[in-house]
This record gives sequence, structure tokens and C-alpha cells, in this order.
Amino acid sequence: MKKLQHIFLAGLVAFGMMACEKDNYDGPTAGLSGRFIDAETKQLVEQDIIRGTTIELLEHGYANPSPQYLIVKNDGSYANTMLFANTYTVRPVRGNFVSVEAQEVVIKGQTTLDFTVTPYIRFTDVTIKKEGNKILASFKLKQSVINNVKKIGLYAHSDFRVGEPMRLVAAERELNAVSNPNEVYTLEINLTDNSNTLKAGRKYFFRIGALIDVGEAKLNYAPAVGIDL
Amino acid sequence: MIRKYSKLLYFVALIGMMGCAKSLDLSPIDKIRPEDLFGDPEGTKLYMANLYYQLPIEDFTYFRQGFRQNAQDPNNGGFAPAMVTDEAMHTEFGDFVGDGDFHFWEPGYKLVRDVNILSDVIPTLNINAEERKGLIGEAAFIKAFTYFGLVKRYGGVSLIKAAQAYNSDPNALKVPRSTEKETWDYVLALCDTAAANLGVAPGRRANKYTALALKSRAALHAASIAKFGGLAPMSGEAVSQKLVGLEAGDAAGYYAQCIDASKQIMESNAYGLYKPTPANPTEAAENYRQMFADPNVANIEAILIKGYTLPGNSLGHNYDIWYQPAQVANGWPHPGRMNPTLDLVDIYESYTAPGQNAPVITTTDGNITDYNGYAPSKNYIRFNTPNEIFKNKDARLWATMVLPSTQWKNTNIIIQAGYVKPNGEAVIRTKDEIEINGVKYYTYGAPSTSMYSGFDTYGGNNTRTGFSFKKFMNDAKPIVPGWNQSTTDFIEFRYAEVLLNYAEAVAEGGAGDVAVATKALNDIRKRAGHTVDITLTPANVQRERRVELAFENKRYWDLIRRREYHTVFNNRRMHTLLPLQDLRALPETKYIFVRVDVPNANPRTFEPKAYYRYIPGIGSNGLVQNPQY
Repeated sequence: MKKLQHIFLAGLVAFGMMACEKDNYDGPTAGLSGRFIDAETKQLVEQDIIRGTTIELLEHGYANPSPQYLIVKNDGSYANTMLFANTYTVRPVRGNFVSVEAQEVVIKGQTTLDFTVTPYIRFTDVTIKKEGNKILASFKLKQSVINNVKKIGLYAHSDFRVGEPMRLVAAERELNAVSNPNEVYTLEINLTDNSNTLKAGRKYFFRIGALIDVGEAKLNYAPAVGIDL
Repeated sequence: MIRKYSKLLYFVALIGMMGCAKSLDLSPIDKIRPEDLFGDPEGTKLYMANLYYQLPIEDFTYFRQGFRQNAQDPNNGGFAPAMVTDEAMHTEFGDFVGDGDFHFWEPGYKLVRDVNILSDVIPTLNINAEERKGLIGEAAFIKAFTYFGLVKRYGGVSLIKAAQAYNSDPNALKVPRSTEKETWDYVLALCDTAAANLGVAPGRRANKYTALALKSRAALHAASIAKFGGLAPMSGEAVSQKLVGLEAGDAAGYYAQCIDASKQIMESNAYGLYKPTPANPTEAAENYRQMFADPNVANIEAILIKGYTLPGNSLGHNYDIWYQPAQVANGWPHPGRMNPTLDLVDIYESYTAPGQNAPVITTTDGNITDYNGYAPSKNYIRFNTPNEIFKNKDARLWATMVLPSTQWKNTNIIIQAGYVKPNGEAVIRTKDEIEINGVKYYTYGAPSTSMYSGFDTYGGNNTRTGFSFKKFMNDAKPIVPGWNQSTTDFIEFRYAEVLLNYAEAVAEGGAGDVAVATKALNDIRKRAGHTVDITLTPANVQRERRVELAFENKRYWDLIRRREYHTVFNNRRMHTLLPLQDLRALPETKYIFVRVDVPNANPRTFEPKAYYRYIPGIGSNGLVQNPQY
């Protein structure tokens, strides 16, 4: 009887210890970071933090894997430092530039991958300034594809990551036409009319954007400008 | 030793006998065989009741958690589907369409299986030809309704047309998704089968016209996706395999199917509008209200009613406790959750200006886009009562909402946001009182929380938009302060929707009879007290639809199928109308109104990927996921 008890006890301990065993898999040690660079101007391509360009990652070695998506920062750089080392198919999707091909990337350690892209719309001669009770923006558009420009907009937010999806106030104009490279486009936000949202004495960020008429395209932007009201 | 052998012998003999006798091939006694169940009319009725109960009818128990939210603990805060559209806000929540909301995957396929079991045994049943025809029609209707509920959420889905048998290989049960077009065509074909086999007797079960009404709705949905899909382009594997999306070229065909199905109902003279010629707008408002307070008075208009008979868990619903104004709560702690928006109020036509929106004008300059709040410098128009500003607006506004200082259940429902003191200083959405010449005035129009229904944040029970809710509300009896106590019936298909479907298909598709469609549109308006006809345009049809079908959980799908959601909800704020008593006018009693953003609410944006719900469980069912999930 004693023997039986011993056996039972030994079994129980063994069973209990099964739960304690350390899993021998490493955590994610690799990462992927980089930038979106304008092929022509060599500047970073400005993005949206919400609903902006995303990078689709498909990890190799699995049947029918669910894609992972990386979000791109406002300034056009991105980073994910917690990926598992492996081979991935990497493709930026739903961006504000002429779409680029997917590529296979071996991600091992902190890997850097820059994309050289052609943004749909570039801005030149940008000025955003406060004049009286108005914020005035003027700029020229230079588009790199033949599609129409759907709309242009001036967006305001208290956060520097301002954009079309992240704004307190917007002044937008529908163009629905091919833009004229020589025309100076202007947009304005009347501060009096928006006194409830854009409060005097505080700092707000203003950014101009333009949307090309391409399916799922995101807006292109010029860098945001901070103005004390 | 011998004893031991004989025992073994017995055992061997027993094993041997198992091979010979069929004593284990018994029919199970804990299951009912289909021929027994369906051979008995009562058994069929019972099974049918279960199928109808599972239909994806978006009624009073449909919330973002899914269908039939009336079980033991149905507390979901009263967050109705209307609150993710521009129809209403919740008193407290500011939520929007979440990835996990409004799903129908598992309950959908459960119903598919249940109805497949029925349709598979129909040919074997010992019933007469007429009964068989009826069952074939009804099974097809239920299947069509189920797949309609699936396709409008998920796009193309796995079409399981007969009950599957499990033969120890789960992979054999996996059915890949069909294209969205194949799925819509299957739904419409099932509607045709149903219409061809069903009789015309009215009742609580599907008849020929119910099937045609479903077809009218489904075909219009498919046509709209085909026509407007380009407004929200998508990419990904599901798109390239055509599992989501329809070709623009398909639109005309689907519009034609909608026109045909609607026309059959319209030409049958089996249905009509309830009380189509009211004497005046007041009568029109009361007629319209009654139709929803008790659909059974309007059998001429109601093509299919979902009934609620008994209060209790899984039996009654909770619309009355959640949505009646705070003053009539009768001890229930959480009333007043439905706050119709000013955005919806603006849409209702004025009898003085037919055929256009009649936004609520509060200032002499007529500016309706200024939401910056009260300023003493602005010239507000003064009104004699808190609801005079809505004078001449469509009767259905008065029947759908409880407007400030109107009567509901013999109670003057007070909705007031504040007052302007004689010195021009305003006190808004703050509990306060002031005594002038011996008379006390209260910001919320009355001294205590039980005496008003607006703007106090107390308990989340007061409207924050300036409007409370009336449509579907039971005015006959006091609120029973408990769960699942309401038994108001719900009209799933009504004649007015069929008319609107027809009008829209003609206005958008170009085919069909413009004169008939124009008459359909204006018949509905006439029933609402209008006397001047308007022309058939897509905008007029949409306005009429929003107004006539408000809160019937149609708006969400209108925004989805017409691909308007991401445009209508792009950083969108809803709006409130603040009624203020203007004490500068004393001794006269005067009110002014201020258009503002809904207080304590954030702007909301619709993600285009939400035009389709995600497919649950792709890890095990191996289906292609919808874009961007």
C-alpha cells in the first residue's frame, strides 16, 4: 500500500513539473525599419499616422499565413523592433505613391529596408502663415501620374501628427481635375468661425494635403507647420 | 481450473454472438426521426417556429453583439445599431462600428444547416402536393433570408446547399467561398423558388409577397454595390478572386430584378399603405406612430411581422425601457438612451418647401454651419414655445421623435438645455436656477431630475441631442421596470419599403416606369401629409427613405450598399439643438435655439474595410479573409 502511495506521489510530482518546464523558444529578436524616400527629391515621403500607408508582411514557412501590417510614421519612416527572424514577403500597400512590387526580405537582427518611391503628388512653394484671423496656405502641385486630383485640404490639429484623418478643422476643396503645375492653390481656415475648436493662445499644427484619384490611394502631404494662435 | 475455462468460454461465445445479431443497430430513442417530425403538421410547425426564430431580422433585439439580445442578461447599455449611423447618438457612449460588431457567421451557418435538414427531407415526406410545395417555398425563403444576411456582411460566402454529413474527415466539410456575384445570384434564385411555390395567404409566415419583398430588398442591395462599389475600391486576394465586390456592369440587371419583384407586389393589390390619405399633418403623425406602436392595426401595409407575445427572457425585448424619455421611466433606472440627431431632424421636409431638406434655422442670418456655441452677439430668432421652431416640418418628425415640450403619455416632456439671463449671460448644460420678480427659472426647465428629460448628465438618462424617441414606443401602458418586458411587434417587410425600393431602382437604374415610381414616392409623402408632389431624383428618394424608414435599422445598410459610409463618416461629428429660455424677453416667455456639436462626443471615421465584416475562424475553415483584416 505504501509503495502504491509512493508511485502515485511520484506520478503527481512528475505531472506537476510538466507545467513548470521552461519553453525553449526565443522571443522576437529581429526587427525591420526604414524609410520611404522620394525617388526624385530624395526627401522622406510624408504620411498619415491613422489610415496611412501600411507595409504588409507575410512570414514564410506557414501555410496561408495572416498578414502582419506595419504602420508608417508621419515623417515617412517606420520601425518594428519585435519581429521573429525569418524570411518575409514585404510589400507596402495602400500608399500615397506609385505602387511598388513585393520583395522577399531575410529579416535577421535589426534589418533596414528603405523604399524608393514616386509619390503621386508633390508640393512646391508651400507657405502656411497666420494673417489676421485667418490661416492662409498657398502651394503648387506637381503630380507624377495622369489621374485627377480629387481634393486638396488644409488640416489643423493640436498634435503635430495632423492629417486628413486626424484633424480638428479642415478646409478642403474638391478639384476632380488634373492639377495645373503653374497654378498657386490657396486654402484658408477662418479662426473666428472655429473659435470653439482652435482656441487663441494655444499652438496648433497645420498641414496641407492632396488626394489623387486612384483606388485606395492615401493623401500626399507637405510637412506640418506649428503656429501659435 | 475448469471454472476458469468455462468463464473464458462464455466470453468468447459472447464476442461471437455480437457479430451475428443486429441487436446493436437500434434507431436512437433520444432523437426524433425526420419522417415522424415532419409527418405531423404540429411537428412541422414546431420546427418552422425554430427556423423563423433564427431569421436574421434586425428588430428590437438586434444590437451590435448580434441577433436576439434578449436572453437572461441583455444589458448592452441600449447601444442601438442606429447609433453608429447619423440617425442617433447614445446618451453616453460614443462608440462606432467595431470589427467584431454586427456579425452573423455562426448563427448564420447554424440556420443554414437547420434549414438544409428540412429541405433535404421534403421529398421523402408523406404529405400532399400542396403542403410539399409550401414547405419547398418556405425553406427557400428562409435559406434566401439567411444567405442575404451573410452576403451583405461578408461578401461571397461558402454556399452549402444541402446538409453536410460528417464522415470523420473534417477537410471534406470545407467549402471554399463563392464569388460575391454567385452568392447574390443564389439569394435571388432562392427568392424566385420561394415566390413560385408559396401561396398568397397573409399571416406570420412567408407567402409569395414576402419572398418578393425580400427579393426586392436583396436585388437593390446587390445593384447598389455594383453601381457604387467604385467609390470605395479595395485590393487583396479576396478582391482578385472576386469574393468581394461586383462589376459595375451588373448593376442594371440587379436593378431590373428589384423593379420586377417590387412591381409584382405593387400590381397584386394585396397590400397598400396604411391610412394613405390623412386629413392633416397631425392625423398623419398619429397614423404613422400607431403603425409602429402596434403593427397589427396596419395589416394592409405589413407584409411580414415578427411578433412578441409574452414578456420574459428570450421572449420580450427592451426598447421601451431603454428609449422612452426619462420622465416616464416609471422607476426604471436607465431610460432615454436613444438621442435622435439634429442631422436627422434637418432632413425632414417642411410643408412650405417641398422636395428639399429643411434644416432648423436658429439665427436671423440663417447660418446652419456655425456650431461654435452660444454668443450674445449673434441674432437668435425668438420662439414662443420650445417646439415652434419645428412648425410645418414633416409629420413623421413628430411621430418618430419626442420633441421638446410635446405630450407623451399625458406628460409634458421637458427638454431644455439652459437659459440666457437678463444680462445676456447664458447658463448651458449646468444645473442652475435664478429668481426673477419672485419667479424661479431652472436651466433644465424644472427643478428635479424626475421632472425633465434633457441635457442633465445625471444617470445618462437625458437626451444630449435635444430629441427623445417615440417610434415603436408603447404609449398604452406604463414602463415595466425590468428586462425583456416589451412585447411590441416589429414589421420586417412593409409596403412602403417596397415602393421606395422600386422608386430607387428606377431613379438609379434608368429602367422601369418613371411615372409609377414618382407616384410611389409621392404616395408615401401624401400619407405623411404632403400635398405637393416632387420629382423622382436619387436625392429625393434617399431623403424619403431616411425619413420614412428611420430607426428601422435600414440606414446602416443604405450607407454600406451605396458606399457612402466612408464619406458621410469622415471625421464626422453629430449635432445637437440646444433649446434655451431667453430670460431677456421677460415678462414674455421666449425660447432661442443653438446648434452645437453633440457634447462630450468625438468625431468618428468609417474605415473602408468595414464595408465587409471579417470572416471568423479562417485558421480552421481555410477561407480567404476579407481585405485588410
